[in-house]
Amino acid sequence: MNAIDSHREQLPYLGYGLGLRVEHYQALLDHPHGVDWLEIISENYMVPGGLPLVWLERFRARFPLAMHGVSLSIGGTDPLDEGYLARLDALARRIEPAWVSDHLCWTGVQGVNLHDLMPLPYTEEALDHVVARVRQVQDRLQRRILLENVSSYLRFAEAQLEEWEFLAEVARRADCLILLDINNIYVSARNHGFDAQRYLEGVPVERVQQFHLAGHEHGAALLVDTHDAPVPPPVWTLYEAAVRRFGAVSTMIERDDHIPPLDELLAELDDARRLAAPLLRAAA
Amino acid sequence: MSELQALQLRLQRAVMASASMALPELVGDDIADAKARLAIYRHGYRARLREALTNEFPTVAMLAGQRFQALLDRYIDACPSEHYNLRWHGAGLAAFLRYALPWRDRPAYAEAAELDWAISTCFDAADETAIGADALAAIAPEDWAGLRLQPLQQLQWLSLVTNIDAFRTAADAGAPRPHLRRRARPRRLLVWRQALTVRYRAVETAEGILLAAAAREEPFAALCELAATQAPPGQAVARLAVLLRNWVDAGLIRALDSGAR
Repeated sequence: MNAIDSHREQLPYLGYGLGLRVEHYQALLDHPHGVDWLEIISENYMVPGGLPLVWLERFRARFPLAMHGVSLSIGGTDPLDEGYLARLDALARRIEPAWVSDHLCWTGVQGVNLHDLMPLPYTEEALDHVVARVRQVQDRLQRRILLENVSSYLRFAEAQLEEWEFLAEVARRADCLILLDINNIYVSARNHGFDAQRYLEGVPVERVQQFHLAGHEHGAALLVDTHDAPVPPPVWTLYEAAVRRFGAVSTMIERDDHIPPLDELLAELDDARRLAAPLLRAAA
Repeated sequence: MSELQALQLRLQRAVMASASMALPELVGDDIADAKARLAIYRHGYRARLREALTNEFPTVAMLAGQRFQALLDRYIDACPSEHYNLRWHGAGLAAFLRYALPWRDRPAYAEAAELDWAISTCFDAADETAIGADALAAIAPEDWAGLRLQPLQQLQWLSLVTNIDAFRTAADAGAPRPHLRRRARPRRLLVWRQALTVRYRAVETAEGILLAAAAREEPFAALCELAATQAPPGQAVARLAVLLRNWVDAGLIRALDSGAR
């Protein structure tokens, strides 16, 4: 058994979950059925006290949790923020999540935070840079992290690698895991004209620990990753392909805006279960 | 500076710029040109900061009305976010409104931002347990003179020359905009969290002086002497006792130090 197999054994398969949003706090506690686990936005709970942490403890008592950050800036060129890492580590020690994830991106430079998931140029220089920082973060947190592919709109003249090659190489060289956002793959494939299936085939099976499912908007020329709409048919189709390739991977619906009633997300989650179940049975 | 660092700096400037900039590092294709691709980030940057500030500053929004978005854009351009938590971009808004024209001539704007930010920071401040009335009853008579009160560490004091707290109350209740009034003398406003509920209230001058002295951990005997300068003859101790009970009932006091070991 190699290191990855060993680690995958340690990280549980959680089933089908939701991103925890304030709008669903009470409904989730009143009707927890149908949600196997919850993903929290780490930064929302990296606070000294008060109501956010009270709610978090209530959910922690009822659901397995995963932490998902937006401000690690693993691809940024400022030094890693030790204060941020200390708070992230403190939260992880407090709630003991199944895993900690963030995005393969940068969020700002020279002290500024753009609060966006900025894409990296997929170059050898960027690869070396990210790999070193992932190792640094993993050493600091004493755990392997998951990195998520982001939706991207920019094309860099100097790019040397395809996105999936970059992602796979970061995971291999830094020995981290991957959170595949199926919607983001679809959005980027449409925006950059690559084959989404080829992307899936380029990602190492043994590194993928989690899927995100979400929706997007159609802009004038580009698809815009808004995460504010139901999972559309082409993303379901790509999810089906992902389940065929990667097998039973913890899956969640991620809605960041236009938050619908909980029942609507539970119905989407059931759609994911129904789609994946026969594929997983056939593969068993 | 590495090539990656230089690229990120140029790209960041382009995202934050109010006007579109061309970057040679970015290319387009037959799906979209480089300008259209960059525009998504430029739009998203401003929209996210505006949304977060709007959520944090309902009093400023009510006060500014239709000019609120323009105010936010001026702040966003002058003060980029430097915190990992989007909410904390608002930390500098009150200071900005104190020095930037035209708002520096209208103190209600900075006061509104101070009040909103105080409420926001109290919301998730470190947890503190306030004492109950039973703690007062447990003080031995001989210990009262040396008793020192310890108010909550998250208690915030604002000094307001306007009735801007009425705007916050109206904003929270979805009520119409009140009339803005300016006072001849500043008034103290307390902002604190009682258990999980953020509260704010104005305090009269005499109460403010006494609570401030308590916050400096002056002994109860000194508070009595101070109260004697603020109340009619013979009523000082009784008045202080009422105030003390009110502070305790409002969850403002986290500990009593009688000095007894």
